[in-house]
Amino acid sequence: MRQPVLLGLAGALALAVLPLVANPYLLFVGNQLAIFVILAVGLNLLVGYCGQLAFSHAALSGIGAYGTALLKVHLGLPFFLALPCGALLATAVGLAISYPALRLSGLYLSLATLAFAQFTLWVFMNWEAVTFGAGGFRVPAPSYPLIGAGLGTYYLSLALAVLLALAAASLVRSRLGRAMIAVRDGEVAAEALGINLLRTKAMAFGLSAFYAGVAGGLQALMLGYMAPESFDLFHMALMKAMIVVGGLGSIAGSVIGAGAVLFLLEGLRAFKGAQEIAFGSLLIAAVVFAPRGLAGALNRLPRWRESYLRRPARDAAP
Amino acid sequence: MLSGLTTGSIYALVALGIVLVYKATGTINFAHGDQLMIAGFLAYTLHVMLGLPYLVAMLGAVIGSFLLGALAERIGFRAVLRSNLINVVLATLGLSFVLKGVARLTWGGISDYLSFPPLVSPDPIMIGDLILLPQQLVVTAGALVVMGLFALFFRLTTIGRAMQATADNPKAARLVGIRVEHIHMLAFAVGAAVAGAGATLMAPLTLLYPDIGFTLFIKGFAAAVLGGLTSLPGALVGGLAIGIVEALAAGYIHSSFLEVSAFIAIMLTLVLRPRGLMGGPPPRRA
Repeated sequence: MRQPVLLGLAGALALAVLPLVANPYLLFVGNQLAIFVILAVGLNLLVGYCGQLAFSHAALSGIGAYGTALLKVHLGLPFFLALPCGALLATAVGLAISYPALRLSGLYLSLATLAFAQFTLWVFMNWEAVTFGAGGFRVPAPSYPLIGAGLGTYYLSLALAVLLALAAASLVRSRLGRAMIAVRDGEVAAEALGINLLRTKAMAFGLSAFYAGVAGGLQALMLGYMAPESFDLFHMALMKAMIVVGGLGSIAGSVIGAGAVLFLLEGLRAFKGAQEIAFGSLLIAAVVFAPRGLAGALNRLPRWRESYLRRPARDAAP
Repeated sequence: MLSGLTTGSIYALVALGIVLVYKATGTINFAHGDQLMIAGFLAYTLHVMLGLPYLVAMLGAVIGSFLLGALAERIGFRAVLRSNLINVVLATLGLSFVLKGVARLTWGGISDYLSFPPLVSPDPIMIGDLILLPQQLVVTAGALVVMGLFALFFRLTTIGRAMQATADNPKAARLVGIRVEHIHMLAFAVGAAVAGAGATLMAPLTLLYPDIGFTLFIKGFAAAVLGGLTSLPGALVGGLAIGIVEALAAGYIHSSFLEVSAFIAIMLTLVLRPRGLMGGPPPRRA
C-alpha cells in the first residue's frame, strides 16, 4: 500500500536536491510546481472530494497573496507572521462567502463564486489606496537564516507542499473527508446518515481557501511582485485543468496534474494565443476522453491503490 | 439612461442565448461570450476586409456562428452532456479558451483593438433637450427585431416547439419522437447564432478584441440570472435592467462602478432570489 505516498516523497526528495545542480530558471519552475501542487490539492478537496464546483479559488489565492504582501508592505510584519495571516484571511473570506453560497447548489454555486471572483479582482484593481491598483507593486524579499531569499522560499514552498499534500491525503480518510465524499455522492443520502451538509461544505470551503491562501502567499514571496492579473479567470481555468487532467477526487492526481499543466505552461510561455488553445483543448479532451484523469489510468497499475477515487456522482438539480 | 437601454438590449441578446442553452440542456455555456466575439471578428472580416455590405456580413456571421455552435456541441459537449455537471461546465470553459486563443492568433496580429465602421452618420440628433445617437437607435431597434424573430421562431415553427417540449420534459419529448440530441445541438447552434447577430449589431459601438467575449458574457449572464435563468422574457427585462443600472451607477457614483454592478447584481440575485425575477423551477436534465 501507500505507493503514491512513497513516490511523492521520492519526487519531493528529487526537488530538494535540485538546487545543487539547477540554474535559477529551473529553481523558479520547481518553486512554481510546489505552489501549483498546493493550489491543485486545495481545489481538489472542494471540487473533487466534496463535489462543489466553485470558481473562487484563484480569487482566494489572490486574497492570500495580497494579504501576505500588504501586511508586509503596510504594517511591516515579518513574512513568517504575514504568510499565516494572509492564509487565515483567505480562509476567513472563504468561510464567509461559503454561507450565502452554500444555500445554492450545482450550477448556481459556480455562478455566485464566479461573480465573487470578478468582484475580488475589481477590488484589487480599484482600491488603489491599499492595493496599489492595476499596476501592482513590489514585495520586499523575505530573509531567511543561513540561506538566500530565493533558496529559502524554494525550500519553504517545497516543505509546505509536501506537508499539505500529506495532510490532505490523510484528511480524506478521516471522518470529515468521508463526510465530504458522501455529500458529493448524494446529498440526501448523506443527510440521512446524519451528516451536517452545511457544516461539511463550509469546512471543505474553508480548507480549500486555506490551501489557496498559503499558495498565494508563497507566490507573493517567490515573485516579489504582485499584480491583479495573476488571479484572473485564466488562472482559475489553469487550476481546473490541473485537477481534471490529474483526476478529480485524487490527491496523487492533483500533484501529477499540477506538473503536467506547469510543463505545458512553460513550454508555450512565449505564445499567449497558443497557450489558451492548448489549455482549452486539454480541458475538453480530458473531460471527453478521460473523465477520471491520469489518476484513473494510474489506478490500473498493479499495487497502486488510492482509495476514494470514485466517479463523482451525478449532481442534484440546482 | 438611453445609452443604458442600448447596451441593455445587447446584454439581453447575450442573455437570450445563455437562457436558450440552459433551458434546453440544463447547463451554462461558458463559451457563449467567446462565440459572440468570434462572430464579431467574422463580421469584421466580411464587412471591413472583404468589403461586403453590412447586412450580408451580418448574415454571414449568423450562419458562421450557427455552424460553429453545432460543431462545438458535436465535438465537445455531446459526450459529456449526460455525465455530471462539473464536466460539462469545464468543457465549455475549455472551448472558451480555445476560441479566445484562435482569435488572438488569427486577428490579434492586425492590431489589439479593431474598430468597426459606423452604420449611420455619427452626428447626434437633438429632440428638445434629448441627445440621441442614431447609431444607438439602430442597434436597439436591431436587437429588438432579432428578439422578435426569435420569439416567433420559438412559438410558431415545429422546431421551436420541439425545443420547448424538450426543455419541458426530455423523456416525454423523446417518447413523442423528438430527437433530443438534435435539439441539444440546435440549441447550442441557435444560441450561437443569436450571439452572432448580437455581435454584429454591437461591433460598431464598441471595439473588437479577443477578450471582449468574457466581459460581455458576464454582463449577459447577470442579465440572465436577474431575469431568471429559465425565462426568455426575463432575459429581455434583465438585460435592460442591467444596462440601465450600469449607466446610472457609472453616472452617479463613479465610472469604475460600471464594471462591478453586474457582479453585484449576480450575487444579490442569487442570494436573495435565486430564481430571478421571472424564472421558474430549473429544467430537468436529460
